[in-house]
Amino acid sequence: MDITLVLIAIFSLVGFIFTFLAVIEKDLPKAVVFSAIQSAAYAALFYLLRAPDIVLVYLPVSVGLYPAALFFLIGKSERVEE
Amino acid sequence: MRRSYIVLISLISVIFVLAYLTTYMGILGPISSDTRYLAKLFLALTYNPDTSTSLRYLTAMSPEAVTAIVWDYRGIDTFYETTVFFMAIVSALTIYRGITNIESKTQGSGLSIIVRVVTKLLIPMNIAIAVSIAVHGHLTPGGGFQAGAALAVISVLLAVVFSGYSFGKLGMGISKAVALRSMGLLGIATVTLLPLIYGIVAGVQTYLMQNYMKVDSPFTFPIYAWGQLISGTLIWLNLAEFLAVSFGFFVIFMLLSLREETVKKYLGVGDGH
Repeated sequence: MDITLVLIAIFSLVGFIFTFLAVIEKDLPKAVVFSAIQSAAYAALFYLLRAPDIVLVYLPVSVGLYPAALFFLIGKSERVEE
Repeated sequence: MRRSYIVLISLISVIFVLAYLTTYMGILGPISSDTRYLAKLFLALTYNPDTSTSLRYLTAMSPEAVTAIVWDYRGIDTFYETTVFFMAIVSALTIYRGITNIESKTQGSGLSIIVRVVTKLLIPMNIAIAVSIAVHGHLTPGGGFQAGAALAVISVLLAVVFSGYSFGKLGMGISKAVALRSMGLLGIATVTLLPLIYGIVAGVQTYLMQNYMKVDSPFTFPIYAWGQLISGTLIWLNLAEFLAVSFGFFVIFMLLSLREETVKKYLGVGDGH
C-alpha cells in the first residue's frame, strides 16, 4: 500500500476531528486553536497531494493570520459563546 | 459531552464507508491515475525555449507551471483577485478613516523577554524566506501572494509579542504601509500596460499583460537578466504582488491592534454609541 495514501487518510481524519471540536467548543480562543490545528493538517494534505504553492499560502494565512485576526476580534467582543 | 462523541464516531464511520465505496467499489466510476491531457499540455508549453517550432508562441518561459498559469495564461484572473484584496483594504481604511499613524509609547511592552528575544531572531529569517519565495516565484513553488502572506506574519508577531505600539517605534506608520502597498499596485499596473504603450509607440500589435511573443505580436519582455532566467513579466508581477499583499496585511493588523480608546478618539465616537 502506498504510504502517501495512508498519510492522507491520517491527516484528513485529524483535520476532521479538529473541525468537529472547533464547532462544538464554546470557549472561542480554544475553538480558534482547534481550527488552526485543522488547518495545519490540511496544509500537510495539500503537500501530500503535491500542491506546494497552496501549502505556502495556506500555512501563513490559516495558521498565522486568520487565527490572529480572530483573536483580535474575540478580544474586542466576548470570550465564551452562549 | 457523551452525545457529541457519538456524533463524532458516527460521522467518522460515514466518512470511512464513503471512502470505501468510492475507492474499492468504484461508485464514481474508475479512478484514472494518468496525467490529464490539459495538464500535459501546460507542462509541455510552460517552459519551451525551442525557437524552431511554432509552439514557442504559446510558452510563458517559466518552469513553474502554476506561476505561469496564475500570471500569464490566466493573468487577468489574478489581476481581479488583487483588485478584490485592494477593495477589502480600502474598506478597512474607510472604517478607520482619519488614523494615519500610530503613536509610539513605552506603555504596553508585550510578552516576556524570552518570547521577545526568540521573535527578534525569527523576524530576519522570516523576511529572508518571504523575499526568497517572491524572487524565486517563477522557478520554484511560491509567488507574490505566498511571499506576501509569509511576510505579513511579521505584522502579527509585532502586534502580539511587542504590542501594537512597536509599529510606531520601528517607524512603520499606516501611511507608509499604504504607500508601499500602492507602489506594489502601481508596479502591477505598469507591467500590465507596458506592452500597450510599446505597441502604440512602435506601431505593432500587442496584448495587455503580454509576456512572450505571440504569432501576431513580436513584443517580448526580457526573459533573461545577467544570464539568469527571470521569465519576463512573471518576476516583476511577483515582486509587485509581494509588496501589495504584505503591506496590505500590515495595514490590516496595524488597525486591528489599535486600542479601542484610540480609535474612538480619532473617529470622534463617544462611549454612548
